[in-house]
Order: sequence, then C-alpha cells, then structure tokens
Amino acid sequence: MKDKKMKSSTYISGLPWILPALLFLVVIVYYSIISTFNLSTLDWNGLDPIRTSVGMKNFVKMIHDRVFWLCLKNTVIYFAITFVVQNTLGFLFAAILHSQVKLSTLHKCIIFIPTILAPATMAPVFRLLFSPQGMLQSVFNALHLPITVDWLANPNTALFVLMAVAIWEFTGMSFILYYAAMSQVDKQILEAARIDGAGNIRTLITMVLPHCKGTTVSLAMLGIIGALKTFDIPYLITTGGPNHATEFLGTYIYRQGIRQSHLGYAAALSVALLVLAIGGALASNYSKKGD
Amino acid sequence: MFEVRSKKNKILLQLILFVMTIPYLIPLVQMVLGSLGGRGLYNYKVVWDTGVVPIYFRNSAIIAVGVIALVYAFSMTAGFGFAKLHIKGKEFYFWMILIALTLPEVILLTPLFVTFQKLHMYNTLFAVILPTAALQLPFTILLARKFNEGIPGELMEAARIDGANIWQVFTQVILPMTKPIASAIIVLTLINAWNAYLLPLLFLQSPNLQVVTLLPQYFQGEFTNDQTKILAAAVMTAIPEIIAYLLMQKNFEKGMIAGALK
Repeated sequence: MKDKKMKSSTYISGLPWILPALLFLVVIVYYSIISTFNLSTLDWNGLDPIRTSVGMKNFVKMIHDRVFWLCLKNTVIYFAITFVVQNTLGFLFAAILHSQVKLSTLHKCIIFIPTILAPATMAPVFRLLFSPQGMLQSVFNALHLPITVDWLANPNTALFVLMAVAIWEFTGMSFILYYAAMSQVDKQILEAARIDGAGNIRTLITMVLPHCKGTTVSLAMLGIIGALKTFDIPYLITTGGPNHATEFLGTYIYRQGIRQSHLGYAAALSVALLVLAIGGALASNYSKKGD
Repeated sequence: MFEVRSKKNKILLQLILFVMTIPYLIPLVQMVLGSLGGRGLYNYKVVWDTGVVPIYFRNSAIIAVGVIALVYAFSMTAGFGFAKLHIKGKEFYFWMILIALTLPEVILLTPLFVTFQKLHMYNTLFAVILPTAALQLPFTILLARKFNEGIPGELMEAARIDGANIWQVFTQVILPMTKPIASAIIVLTLINAWNAYLLPLLFLQSPNLQVVTLLPQYFQGEFTNDQTKILAAAVMTAIPEIIAYLLMQKNFEKGMIAGALK
C-alpha cells in the first residue's frame, strides 16, 4: 500500500523542475563552450570581418609553446602544495575547534574571513606585505635578520608567495567542510578507542581521517578544478610575472585573448584547459567510487 | 576531537590554536596598518570624499541580489527535481550540469562579449549577473540535491494524501525543510557575486556601473602609488563583507554541516 503511494509521486515527471536551470546553463555555458571550440580553429583578432580557418594550427602552436608547458608545470606545483598544506591545516583547525577550547567562534571567524574577502580587495595588501616596504620587512629588520623581502619580484619565489596567498584564502573552505564532516563522527566510537588506549593523534589519524575521506576527495576535486581555473590571485598580484614565473592557463588565456587579441589561440588554450578540468574532475570522482 | 583532561594539555592545545591562527591575521593587520600610514584616518576621508564608494557598493549589492535570486530559484527547483522526482535520463542531465562546474570564467569572455553586444546587454549589470549565476549553479544544485535526498519521502506522501499538488508539496514541505542548505547556498553565492572581478572588469564600462572589487584599481588611477589610500579603500570594502559574514555565521555553519558533502 505504502509502496504504491510512494511510486505515485516519484513518477511525477521532474523535468519541468530541472528545465529552468538546465536551459539557463545551456544558453550561457554550453553556448560558450561550443563557440570556443569553433573559435579555436580560427585565426581571428576579434575585429576583422575576415576569420581565417586554420584547422588544428592553434593546437600545434600550443604544443610547441614553452609558456603553455610552464603554465601546466606551475599549476601542478601549485595544486600539489596548496592541496596538502591547506587541507592539513583545515583538518587540524577542525579537529581542534571540535575539542574543548576557548574562543572557538573567534578563531572560526578569523580563519574564514580570508575566504570571504575578494582577492581583488586583498591584492594591494599582499603586494605591500611581500615588498621591502611591508610589515614582514619591518619585523625582520627589528629582529636584525639579514633578509630582504622582495619575493614577488624574484622568479624563484613569486610562485610560492602566491601559494601562500591561496592557502591563506582557502583554508577556511577546507576547515568548514572538515568541521561539518567531523560533526557526524560517532563520539562513542572515539570514546571506545580511547578506552582501548589509543592516544589523541592516533585516534585522529586512524579513525577521524578515514571518516572524512569523502570530504578529502571532494576537496581534491575542488582543488584540481580551482588550480586549473586560478586567475584572480596571479593576475592581480603578479600579472603572471616576473617572466611568466607565475603564469597559469587562466592568466595566459587572458593575455593571449584579451590583451593581444589572439582569439583563436586563446580559444585553443581554453579547450585544453576545459579538457584538463573535466579529466581532473572525472579522475577524482572515479577515486571516490573506488571506495 | 581531542580529549584533553590535564590543565597543562588544555593550555597547550589553546596555545597551538593561537599560533596556527596568527598567520591568518597578518594580512588583515597589514591592511589596517597600511591604510593608516601617512596621514592616518584622513586617508579614509579622502577616499570617501571622491564619492564613488557608495556607487560601487550599490552596484555590487544589485549584482549580489540578482545572482542570489537566480541561484536560489534554480537550485531549489532543480535540487528537488533531481532528488525526488522521476526524470528519464536523470544522471545524464545531472552530469551536464556538473561539467559546468569545471568551466573557468575566462573561457566565457569572448563568446559572451560577442553575444552581449548583439543583444545590447554589454555594459549593463545583467552582463555580470547572468554568467556569475550560471557559474555558481552547478555547485549549489549539487548541494541542494544532496540535501533533498536526505528528506524522507513519507513527508511528501503525507502531504499528497492530504490533497496537496506537487507545487504545494514543494512550497509547504520542501522549502521549509531545506532552509539550512538554502542559507549555505545564499552565503556562498553572496561571497562569489560580491567578489566577482573579471566579468565586471570586462563587461562594465560606465563609471556609474563599477563594483567594489574594482575600487583598488580606481584608486590606483586616482592616487598614483599612494598605497595608503588604496588600502583605506580595501578596508572600506572589506568591512561590510565581514559584518555580513558575522551576522550569518551561525546559519552558514549549520547549513554546511547539514549539507556536508559525503
């Protein structure tokens, strides 16, 4: 009886309910994707009435473009380091703030505020902070440490500064997702483990961390996509420099397409970016199913 | 998660927490200190007197409201449809939406630029609202679907037996029950809409259509290299965001816990 009734309403067609969202995305997103694919086979500066079709030439150019590979290398380094550091910190913050500590709301707010502030708002702050006129330099001077802070101008350090900024900004996200996952941990199981003599660190690694595996996988997926999409932070703080040291696909596409009007080549880079992002998302989703 | 009994360990844990939090404060301290450099609070007066701050805020607010309205309406209906109703080829449609999660906004620029110019929407707030909402939707639909899946079907059935049609089930049963995830969706959307930079940079040209993320740039043009004014503008942009977050912090946390990605 109950089953029959259940069916009656699950068999109401849901199509009208998802159609508005779907149409909206098709019109904006899928239209843009198709148009980008089309653009990637052209040599066009956006103004000329003549659009020359060049077939796969833009893609051949891409494969031989040193900067394209540099973007990929930067993206991989950026993802690997920010993923590990940011999520370790987020996980630890979540574990500590689920314990009995004082001023927990204050700490939560301080960790999450960077996530809500726009990179555009903070970029001038970071440019100052990591320059010889900034606060870090004053601290080093006061401590008589022979360190000169001009890390954004140095191609060997600029990328690491940007990673620090990204970690600063997104730890709040990792924290809140781990915090949410940990609130579903069965306290009694932890209690039982402790009675069996397991210490805090051991309980955290052998029981809490596996419980949060789903969150870690979701964060990996968001991290891969986020690293590939990175634009605001490098564009606003270093504009991809010095000498492409902090160039990412996003900033390079912008440089090629908007600044230099190589729309066809920018579109080819966009296609590569899209394929990588979808591949990354599928790979991390596959690892989730592999449980 | 940590079980600390002795006083010594309690203090130690508290201390670790403090030390870990300090780096997150440093840029904020630099921002405030930098904005007070030179002539102190006078920097704020100079920035305010340019008269552009309220205009930029108003535009950001309009964009945020527009994006939130679209995202809320589309995620709630789609989340319900995907989780609770029969759709042929459901997972295919869902994947179509999820793929959009991977889309960087830089890819949208050229196609949308061409289209918006044709439709006379270039240099209007719609040119920012529509794509920002589209880029936000995949993630919020995912959250809304997960949350709806956790709502027992019996509740819907009970309403159906009482004679409610599907729209009434949605408005009277589903919407009240999805409030926690709705507030998480609203906060996340607000952050992204308020912080949008690239789309406003390219699609808004008129001086009276600029948004808060473009303030530092405006002041860079206005006060060449006077960092103190630029940072004062940054502080003025950050404060309303921080206040809005503090007001919604409890709801947001509840929503994230309720919608925790499993």
